Amino acid sequence: METRENQELVKMEKTGGKTRGVAVTALLLAIGVILRLVSPSIAGITPNWLIAMYCLAILLVRPGLKQSAGIGLVAGVVCMVTSKAIFPYANLLSEPVGAVACALVVSLTDRVKIFGLTLQPAVSTFIGTLVSGFVFITVTKIVMSVPLQVYLYGMLPVVLTVGAVNCAVAQVLYYPAAKLFAGRLAAAPKEEQA
Amino acid sequence: MAAIVFDDFSYAYDGTTKALDGIRLEVAKGSFTVVAGPSGAGKTTLCLAACGAVPHYFGGSMAGAVRVAGVDTAAGSMGDIAAHVGTVLEDYESQLVTMTVAEEVAFTLENRGMKHETIARRIGEVLAQVGLAGLEDREVGALSGGQKQRLAIAAVLATRPGILVLDEPASALDPEGAEELYALLAGLNRETGMALLVVEHDLARVLAYADQMVVLAGGRVACQGRPEDVLPAMWRQPGLAAMVPPLWQIKLGLEEKLDESFAAWRNEEEAAAELGGFIAARRRGGEKSA
Repeated sequence: METRENQELVKMEKTGGKTRGVAVTALLLAIGVILRLVSPSIAGITPNWLIAMYCLAILLVRPGLKQSAGIGLVAGVVCMVTSKAIFPYANLLSEPVGAVACALVVSLTDRVKIFGLTLQPAVSTFIGTLVSGFVFITVTKIVMSVPLQVYLYGMLPVVLTVGAVNCAVAQVLYYPAAKLFAGRLAAAPKEEQA
Repeated sequence: MAAIVFDDFSYAYDGTTKALDGIRLEVAKGSFTVVAGPSGAGKTTLCLAACGAVPHYFGGSMAGAVRVAGVDTAAGSMGDIAAHVGTVLEDYESQLVTMTVAEEVAFTLENRGMKHETIARRIGEVLAQVGLAGLEDREVGALSGGQKQRLAIAAVLATRPGILVLDEPASALDPEGAEELYALLAGLNRETGMALLVVEHDLARVLAYADQMVVLAGGRVACQGRPEDVLPAMWRQPGLAAMVPPLWQIKLGLEEKLDESFAAWRNEEEAAAELGGFIAARRRGGEKSA
């Protein structure tokens, strides 16, 4: 039998390794919950560790949009039960939307590098946090009839500040987290992928 | 039926650049097959394809088929394939997940729902096989690199696979450790009839044990067959000649210079014995003609 020239390759879907993704996501969310509970606020601002952690999970596991929404929903439930906000139920909407926004940014900026350094963690977490925060405060404003002045000058700056803090946290944590959680199995045949 | 069959198998991680291209290869039951080749030749991908991680874990695009014990790896699940193939990858430490040596072996078996008595018996058996008997309660972190490697092999052996795939198992070992490891693997191959597929760039380490060699280059099979056929073929190819073991470089160089043919040397002793006889015969011939 002759070896066929120009063999047509058939695309294969990944069917394994899902447990690993679930485990990494669960572990990061658990770390996020603990840090959220124990972190003190500095000048009234506390980094939202759960958002930073689910953004890291999305960066490491690369789930689809539906799966990202699922991760966000889990994070939203956890945020809701541990929140001190005036309308904690807003987390059920803000976190799935934030997670989807983060996943979209990750998929769109996959090859963007500056001087060989990927800023994907910072950019996706910043946008994910902003979207999540914006949805959260907007829902809170509408449901609780928060005055516009408070919304504009009290809530929005906090969202921006937390976004900036989360952005730095995600960029710093991404490389050690990738080394710990992504595993060598995925990295092993890199030279053969080239 | 062969243990592993690569039937015109091609694979690309990204869908376009082929890491493996039209691989046709049979690993016979009970054979000791060694895969060699330059960096990026597709050796690791070949191992991953044999254990089903390619394509199940990595996705990508493929053509042709890989059959393990008659099971098409793309059609079966990784669990089905793991029943036949034990795999120890280059980064063997990432396969060790528990605190102690006994727990590590037990972990594999507990995942298969085996009874406690069976697990306890198997732990003793496989640790004795790999030379770790008596270290059941030792912390995994306290083991040396060679012992960790043996433990990873023991954890795989506990499931009694018919095929063992190892990707550069001696890469982190010193020369003595590598020699011990290959002697252990050869013993398992002989005693249990387990087929071995081993990636090894230093062919001198496996020369004494291999009964089939496969050389990959650019994702294709450059040559394959018995070592005595493959090594001369490698010697004639400029890109592969440097990978020929020093003993065979001497043999093939002498054959070219002297226009003689020597036996297929497996170790230094065989070479010394034949060369000693050859030199003695030449001396006698020289004395007669004088």
